[in-house]
Amino acid sequence: MSYDTVIELRNLLRYYQMGDESVKALDGVDLNIGRGEYVSIVGPSGSGKTTLFNLIGGLDKPTDGNVFIDGVDISQLDAYELAWLRCRKIGYIFQSFNLIQVLTAVENVALPTVFAGTPTNEGTRKAEKLLEMVGLKDRIHHRPGELSAGQQQRVAIARALANDPAIILADEPTGNLDLNTGMEIIDLLHGLNKSQGLTLVAATHDLKMIKASDRIVWMRDGQVEKIERS
Amino acid sequence: MSGDTHMIHFSLMDAYRLGIGYIRRRFQRTAINVASIALANSFLTSLALSDMFYQTYSAIEGGILGVDAYQYWLVAVALIVSVVGITNAMLISVYERTREIGTMKCIGALDQHIVMLFLVEAVIQGTAGGLIGYFLGVLAALASVGFTTGFDIIFKVGSLDLAVFLVGTTVMSIVLSIVASLYPAWRASKLSPVEALRYEL
Repeated sequence: MSYDTVIELRNLLRYYQMGDESVKALDGVDLNIGRGEYVSIVGPSGSGKTTLFNLIGGLDKPTDGNVFIDGVDISQLDAYELAWLRCRKIGYIFQSFNLIQVLTAVENVALPTVFAGTPTNEGTRKAEKLLEMVGLKDRIHHRPGELSAGQQQRVAIARALANDPAIILADEPTGNLDLNTGMEIIDLLHGLNKSQGLTLVAATHDLKMIKASDRIVWMRDGQVEKIERS
Repeated sequence: MSGDTHMIHFSLMDAYRLGIGYIRRRFQRTAINVASIALANSFLTSLALSDMFYQTYSAIEGGILGVDAYQYWLVAVALIVSVVGITNAMLISVYERTREIGTMKCIGALDQHIVMLFLVEAVIQGTAGGLIGYFLGVLAALASVGFTTGFDIIFKVGSLDLAVFLVGTTVMSIVLSIVASLYPAWRASKLSPVEALRYEL
């Protein structure tokens, strides 16, 4: 199966200055990820997974090299364009969910649509629909504190989908979940990837999550060690 | 991304709705801030109104009643203490919300939206503190002056004067609350999303 490229990384470098020492978090990464592909990024801690995640997501700037999202070099974007990219093109899912505690589930999911300029009614309706899709129809007015970890991650997934992004970036999405809940989240993400053709890039340790993916990118010492097709 | 207008939206109304959410969920801290503004403002109001009452009374009955000038210095100190207190509380609030600020930036918020969020809260606090402080101040002024001048003195001073004073002190309270929140809001807005998301309280 061939894909048209949605993420293209070209000779990506990211160095951090730690005192006198320069730490090479990413040291020349080249990678293409196709539309609708499900890619797992795997590697020991300190291998550069999170740095890669941050760079693809436009949360951090590379020291050198390029990140192309849909053909646009995002290292050239200003703050405003980056915010727009994060809002419309990319959905983020985090290990610790990162929901806004003062908002209800439906308000959390609708928040990205606020920034996108969707009228309130429409955004709320969209949020309700997404929450129904992730199986939280009867929890939409609960606050994160009143939801279980698995339910919170479902809300976060719904939020990531709110503006119909091209890419879902997930950083250890099952890291804070027990085995069964983690499995449910993997099934949900995998299902979305297959049914809606969402591009899914996940940094993970979770073997079950790795097994479900189309390709596995092994990272070591800031470089791509090998790429496996599963 | 071509063909799209690349607009990011976040209106005052959106900030207000979120701000109300924060105030409700973190009511204690807000209440302390409001109390601090209210106390400082009530001090100012009671002093100024006492003066006004005395002067009105003197104009009718004769005499030279008034408030000592040094007391206004005490009011200034109270206002400064209130500003410092609010700044401190808002800074703590920034730390508490660091991850949420990072999250907001991930889903499209710009620096100015984060500033807006904090300033909207400051305006709400300032308004509440200003109004409460004014009415406490009126009561305090009456309590301290009323036995000399008679409690009906409040009807003898011009109601326009009282209204102007109400508006003036409320605006002052809002301005003080904003001044106190500017630095914390600026700090919050400058957080990089990567660092903010990694932050553990």
